[in-house]
Amino acid sequence: MNHRTAHIPARARWRRLAVLAFSLGAATLEGCAGVQPWDRDVLARDEMQLAADPLETSLDEHIYFSKEASSGGRGFGGGGCGCN
Amino acid sequence: MQLKENRRRRPGSDTQIAPALAAATCALLGPGTPSAVVAQEQPLPELAPWSIDTAMLYYGESDGRVQDFSLSALARKELKEDGFLTLSFALDTLTGASPSGAAPSILPQTFTRPSGEDSYTVAAGEQPLDDTFQDTRFALAANWQWPVTRLALLDVGVSFSDEYDYTHTGVNARIARDFNNRNTTLSLGAALANDTIDAVGGAPIPLAPMLGTNDLRNRQSGDQSKDVLDLLLGLTQVVNRNTVVQINYSLSSADGYLTDPYKLLSVVDPDTGLPVAGPAGAGVNLHLFESRPESRDKQSVFVLLKRNLNGNVLGASYRHMTDDWGIDSDTVDLRYRFELGGNRYLQPHLRFYSQNAADFYHTVLFAGQPVPQFATADYRLGAFDAVTIGVKFGMDTRRGELSTRLELYQQTGDPDPAARVGALAGLDLYPDLSAIIAQFSYKFGR
Repeated sequence: MNHRTAHIPARARWRRLAVLAFSLGAATLEGCAGVQPWDRDVLARDEMQLAADPLETSLDEHIYFSKEASSGGRGFGGGGCGCN
Repeated sequence: MQLKENRRRRPGSDTQIAPALAAATCALLGPGTPSAVVAQEQPLPELAPWSIDTAMLYYGESDGRVQDFSLSALARKELKEDGFLTLSFALDTLTGASPSGAAPSILPQTFTRPSGEDSYTVAAGEQPLDDTFQDTRFALAANWQWPVTRLALLDVGVSFSDEYDYTHTGVNARIARDFNNRNTTLSLGAALANDTIDAVGGAPIPLAPMLGTNDLRNRQSGDQSKDVLDLLLGLTQVVNRNTVVQINYSLSSADGYLTDPYKLLSVVDPDTGLPVAGPAGAGVNLHLFESRPESRDKQSVFVLLKRNLNGNVLGASYRHMTDDWGIDSDTVDLRYRFELGGNRYLQPHLRFYSQNAADFYHTVLFAGQPVPQFATADYRLGAFDAVTIGVKFGMDTRRGELSTRLELYQQTGDPDPAARVGALAGLDLYPDLSAIIAQFSYKFGR
């Protein structure tokens, strides 16, 4: 009995998660197919661009490239350096 | 994904022009529409003027370490319809001191400068820093982007940078194609770089001991070089009216001289942790120049989400990097732009970074034990976490956008536990780093 009651909430949680994941997935798919050119006023704003501030991004990438063992991922850098 | 460029061709309000634009879009998307007909019906669009971003940045580390004052600019101009030229320029002036990799000691230590012409002494218990570090770096890049078909863009570029001991030249190309009614963009890019390292005093022979002044027997002749190939595969997806996501997978392969010619490793007694004597007559303790493999392959996955939340914008990204030097790192970057009204905004920024140490990272080496083929004590290849916390304030003026940001960057690392022997146990073996980043930017002409 304890065994059963212990599992019901867990199963319910999984069901809720599955429903949530499905809803999100469905919303995403619906969104993916459906944003028309005339609905892109928000996406066209400067601050919504993927590279909203390319100069600041390149400055940051230069700093972190100089101080950490990782770099890149976002795109290509604009010049190497023998940074100390 | 040409979201931004398309905007300026949209006259009037969205509600008024939506049906007209819908009809025009259907016509454009329809199969077999002769482009000449479209061109006759629409007046030639005006080309976008120069848009120029400028920035002045100060990066300053505490304890007299590296200070960088940087001026940079990025200019973009539409030279033919949808054909954009981007030029960028940066000038960095670097001064200050950089950790040499050598371990502190309970006794004062003398080090020969990289040039071999002079020496300096580090007090007992102090982090060995070489304070002659200064350089001026100049970087230029140019990119040309144009549509090769109605749905595909090609972007080609060159990059160049030069500093006293380092020169970089690179080329890059990227093709991006839109799918799914321009809701999906796939891009593929490649970059090739050739860098030349002309180390002050000559590049040291890997793992050779530091010698006394005016003794360059531990140096190699000529310049060193490395080649780097980067490949990037990207997917951008418009999720809904307010959300766009980017996922990139990148590969980077570097071959050649990947060693830092100025970094040392201290050799200490395995029981007492005290320095051991260097080569006879050198008058310095035993410190070896570091040695890194001559190739490095990195892979990374980068995910960026931009989401509009009632006019405010969340930008969240995550990157995981792994390489064949044994380093794995995770980076989370969060920015939230609050619109304050009156064309002003405030943007807090948080960044978390964590990496483990390279397989060949050693805080110190021990006397009497075999010297490994590859070894470094460079703190940047050690295990550490870093946090950046900052805020940016921006305002639109009639002429352009003015913004300023202030950020704090803090690295906290762990030395190799094996290094805590004898006298070293009580010393700070990992040079923690604190820096401030201050920037003023001005964008105009858009």
